[in-house]
Amino acid sequence: MSNNLLLNAALNHGAANVSSNPGVELKGGMYTFMSLKLHTSDMDVIDAKLADKVQQAPSFFKDTPVVIDLTVLEKAESEIDAARLLECIKRHKLIPIVASTSDKSSPMAQSIALPLIDGGVGRSIKEKSSSKPAESSSDKADETASSTIDVTPDVDLSLSREIEYVIKTPLVIDKPIRSGQQVYARDTDLIVMGPIGPGAEVIADNNIHIYGPLRGRALCGVSGNTSTRIFCQSLEAELVSVAGNYRMLETIPEELRGKPAQVWLDKDRLNIEPL
Amino acid sequence: MTKTIVVTSGKGGVGKTTTSASIATGLAKRGFKTVVIDFDVGLRNLDLIMGCERRVVYDLVNLVNQEASLHQTLIKDKRIENLYILPASQTRDKDALTIEGIARVMHKLRKSEFDYIICDSPAGIEKGAKMALYFADEAIVTTNPEVSSVRDSDRILGILQSESKRSKMNEEPVKEHLLITRYNPSRVQDGQMLSVDDIVDLLAIPLLGIIPESPSVLDCSNAGKPVILDDESAAGQAYSDAIDRLLGESKPHRFMEAPKKGFLSRLFG
Repeated sequence: MSNNLLLNAALNHGAANVSSNPGVELKGGMYTFMSLKLHTSDMDVIDAKLADKVQQAPSFFKDTPVVIDLTVLEKAESEIDAARLLECIKRHKLIPIVASTSDKSSPMAQSIALPLIDGGVGRSIKEKSSSKPAESSSDKADETASSTIDVTPDVDLSLSREIEYVIKTPLVIDKPIRSGQQVYARDTDLIVMGPIGPGAEVIADNNIHIYGPLRGRALCGVSGNTSTRIFCQSLEAELVSVAGNYRMLETIPEELRGKPAQVWLDKDRLNIEPL
Repeated sequence: MTKTIVVTSGKGGVGKTTTSASIATGLAKRGFKTVVIDFDVGLRNLDLIMGCERRVVYDLVNLVNQEASLHQTLIKDKRIENLYILPASQTRDKDALTIEGIARVMHKLRKSEFDYIICDSPAGIEKGAKMALYFADEAIVTTNPEVSSVRDSDRILGILQSESKRSKMNEEPVKEHLLITRYNPSRVQDGQMLSVDDIVDLLAIPLLGIIPESPSVLDCSNAGKPVILDDESAAGQAYSDAIDRLLGESKPHRFMEAPKKGFLSRLFG
């Protein structure tokens, strides 16, 4: 996204929120789902393992939506009784919502009565981090956060008992952001150890933390996350924005200027408070 | 080891050429073989400040285009041993410069065993300024005590971080120095100018020196003499201090306080 587009998108998004109720909105979004990865097509094993899993924390799993990950089975070219699988999952009080497949036209994918998405989504974190740890931050294509339960017939259950979450590392910058520079922390927090110059822009999909004075523009939650906040050690900003709801310096109360402050959104109201 | 220092600011008229001339002269006076290059192609000024305008035959563009040799182009200063001037072309514009051409010039200068190459940058953030800072190891950011100059300096610092050769090659970043010029302590007291503390706080880089506003700067420019050679003037002494700091000496900053008015001048204003 080019610089201006990004800013305009961020501001327009908020304008729509504030000025009129659009009725419906169609947007891309990122959600965390549990995925059920199948390592076997033996329904009796799956049934037993699932029962064992769910029994460990019945209230945690109750009515949890799950993504069924078929990619391992597809690789092994095995077949599965799709109807029985869905019945089994539902019996254990999980809600199958979508199947992840590496080949949407495969007989297995076609046989399952669920919407299909491109595979690889439910890749276990262990796999990911052991293969290419350095790429984890730049590897933006497949970063759908997911917790994984592996249904593996021959895996130590105590290991897979832990439910893992992907936590994206924040973007940390330990230099001043100068006038005319723009920094965007995609899908994560932005932490700056230094001043943000006038005419500089710091943008994040998540929170923004500034250990120094904020003299330029700061926009958090630009992809629509309204629960993000901006924190800074000295508020002298030209503009602050949370999920597109913005305020200019002139409308920031005089007594807050030059003070440590946080900015957050309370419904549609942009709040600024001293820290 | 040759060190390349760019004198830059973003904003025009803040004293880049005056500073380039004095820094180069100061370094040469301390025995370092120094060349000062005027990158302001089309608006040649450095030769006037250095007092060698009548001796310009070939210029930087000739050298870049390999129409003249380094020996033919360099002008040797008449006052100071070890000091050379590489003038800009007055009849061409900044598009006449190329990174490859400048790289060739820099290579020749290094081979001629120069200790310091001082690059006098044109104003702005366009091609000429980017060419001047591309090869820099260190940068002297010249700033006047007023908001527009400080903001432009902030901008040029960002460009140094992203457009210099060191940043592009992922080497150690360009070492930044802040030089505040035209500082007038009594106008700071009256709130008409930003204070040293304000500027250092805004730009967050180490302070190399404070050059007080002084009539001798203009007098020297008119006479074609770098102001650092005027030992009597505050500006000349301040540049001398800046050279010491540039060479690693730590010295307290002077000329930050307004001169106390004597009894008579207080009476008669």
